[in-house]
Amino acid sequence: MLLRQFLMEWKLFSRDRAAMFWTFLFPLLLLLGFGVIFRSQGPALTLVWSIPAQPSRADAELEQALAGTPLKLLKLSPEEAEARWKRGETAAQIEREGDAFRIRVNSYLVAQGQSAAQIAQQAHLMATARQSGVELKLLPMTLESPGHAHATNYAAFLLPGLIGLNLLSVGLFSVGMVNVAYREKGKFRRLAVTPLPKGIFLGGQVLHRLTVVILQTLVMLVVGRLVFGIANQGSYLALAFVITLGTASFMAMGFALCSFTKTTETYGAVSNVVFMPMMFLSGVYFTLDAAPKWLQQSVVVLPLSPYIKALRGIFNDGAALMDHLGGLAVVVAWGAIFFAVAVRRFKWT
Amino acid sequence: MSELALRVRGLRKQYPKVLAVDGLDLEVFRGEVFGLLGPNGAGKTTTLEIVEGLTPPDTGLIELLGLDWRHHGREIRSRIGVQLQSTSLFNKITPKEALDLYGSYYPKRRSTAELLDLVQLQEKASAYHITLSGGQQQRLAIALALVNDPELVFLDEPTTGLDPQARRSVWDVIRHMKAEGRTVILTTHYMEEAEALCDRLAIMDHGRILTTGTPLELIQQLELPSVVEFAFDGEAPDPTGFAAKLGQPVERRGDLWEIPTRDPKGLLPCLLEFAELEHVPFEQVHVRRATLEDVFLHRTGRSLRE
Repeated sequence: MLLRQFLMEWKLFSRDRAAMFWTFLFPLLLLLGFGVIFRSQGPALTLVWSIPAQPSRADAELEQALAGTPLKLLKLSPEEAEARWKRGETAAQIEREGDAFRIRVNSYLVAQGQSAAQIAQQAHLMATARQSGVELKLLPMTLESPGHAHATNYAAFLLPGLIGLNLLSVGLFSVGMVNVAYREKGKFRRLAVTPLPKGIFLGGQVLHRLTVVILQTLVMLVVGRLVFGIANQGSYLALAFVITLGTASFMAMGFALCSFTKTTETYGAVSNVVFMPMMFLSGVYFTLDAAPKWLQQSVVVLPLSPYIKALRGIFNDGAALMDHLGGLAVVVAWGAIFFAVAVRRFKWT
Repeated sequence: MSELALRVRGLRKQYPKVLAVDGLDLEVFRGEVFGLLGPNGAGKTTTLEIVEGLTPPDTGLIELLGLDWRHHGREIRSRIGVQLQSTSLFNKITPKEALDLYGSYYPKRRSTAELLDLVQLQEKASAYHITLSGGQQQRLAIALALVNDPELVFLDEPTTGLDPQARRSVWDVIRHMKAEGRTVILTTHYMEEAEALCDRLAIMDHGRILTTGTPLELIQQLELPSVVEFAFDGEAPDPTGFAAKLGQPVERRGDLWEIPTRDPKGLLPCLLEFAELEHVPFEQVHVRRATLEDVFLHRTGRSLRE
């Protein structure tokens, strides 16, 4: 009976094109899209140089100093430079101020602007030192991930994040939203007048979602491997364990949340309130290392953030389960709370 | 084996704001088609839900087929069939799959082919549910209620929203159920449906049964078994003033005034004279026998479809 229920879930799911798209294709598109877009280092940093019609000796020295840097110099007349600045296209601009130079950084383009400015600063310092007979040297620097693999591959960073995000959306939408709709539309009531044990119905649903997650994850792993050459650095057993654990916790979350709302409209609002902050604050697409300390510390208590951290640790950096015991404990704790709430509150009518 | 398919005693259900069922008693015999009539909010659906085991009552005794929900829930579910007011299925399930699936929930089941045949959905057996017409969806819902060869079938407004032809085909299915010896309990908004299908009826309002009997009995119980009708050209005018002067209730319904009476022969001459005097712009006068609709109006003070 459970098997039949499980197979029927799959049959109907496979006919639902929207569900198929959001479940299998959309995460892949995200991975491929962002993975390709951020594959390289991005365009060279541009520094706008507002330079008067008659360059001075200082200008010539600056030009020489900047020549050895990876910066792309864009020399403009002061008027043109000002016009470009006003249009908001300039991230960083160097210009004369009396006898000296100064750098302006666009507050809307801080990331590019500050990097460009810093390179210019260094070049200027080195040139100044050279004039006084001191040769300054930069220390060698490399980009490396904690596990020494996939350091410059954004897709590798993204992949575990997307897998975690998938679990959250399976819980919130494939479980929570679907069951609110079943209850609202009376599907549960129709089942309740048959002798089918409710456990079998829910069991079929849970098994189906679990297999969906497994398939979804496999597809992501295979595409990641083939397109971006991303390989699992940890043990597959640990990976399977963490994914099963996450599926259980986030599905419990769906069952718990759907017990609080009667209509799909209300649930839609509630689920977005949960989904949006978790998606942006949990390190799916980027980490919060630039955010205030209090925020970084508070997202750790949400289930997704430590979960993705553990997943990323195992998958990208070959960490062991033991290394992420604390984070996984947070996920288990949330799962247990959601499970208890769901058992207490879940209603059929 | 109990003679009664359903026995309800002293059923009560209080919701936070409304007393939905207020000490209801009901008996339905095996093999009959029993109609539960009442205006919206009368408590019909709540009563059905309690009897079907979907909602627990506050107090009261319920026996289905001689069994009690508290001890024999599973057995009752196996032996009854239920069509809810709106049967929600997946959009992309086919009638054949739905019947197979629901059939698999029961120890005893009828064949899918036979059921499709019964509700004339053979040609649509492999069409997605969402592509079926309202009447076809409703026939499927009824077929689903028969999937376990039930002894007792509940149909909640089985023909609401259907066109006359679709309604007839549902009626045929219900008659067939009776011919097979099943007990059918249905609710309806349509008086002609109740007259056409039901062996016995109960009229309920405010959570209570007001009266029970065969359609004929109910009409004969009326104190005013005849009705004089004034037909107007277009919407009938407000009869309040006329009724006050006449000293007798006048109901307005669409383009009609209806004046129930025990003695049409005596009433008619003075009624016509009075209408002339008051310049009532009626077009025609009819005298007819009271119908279930009038029984309903008389008992509840409301029209059935209000």
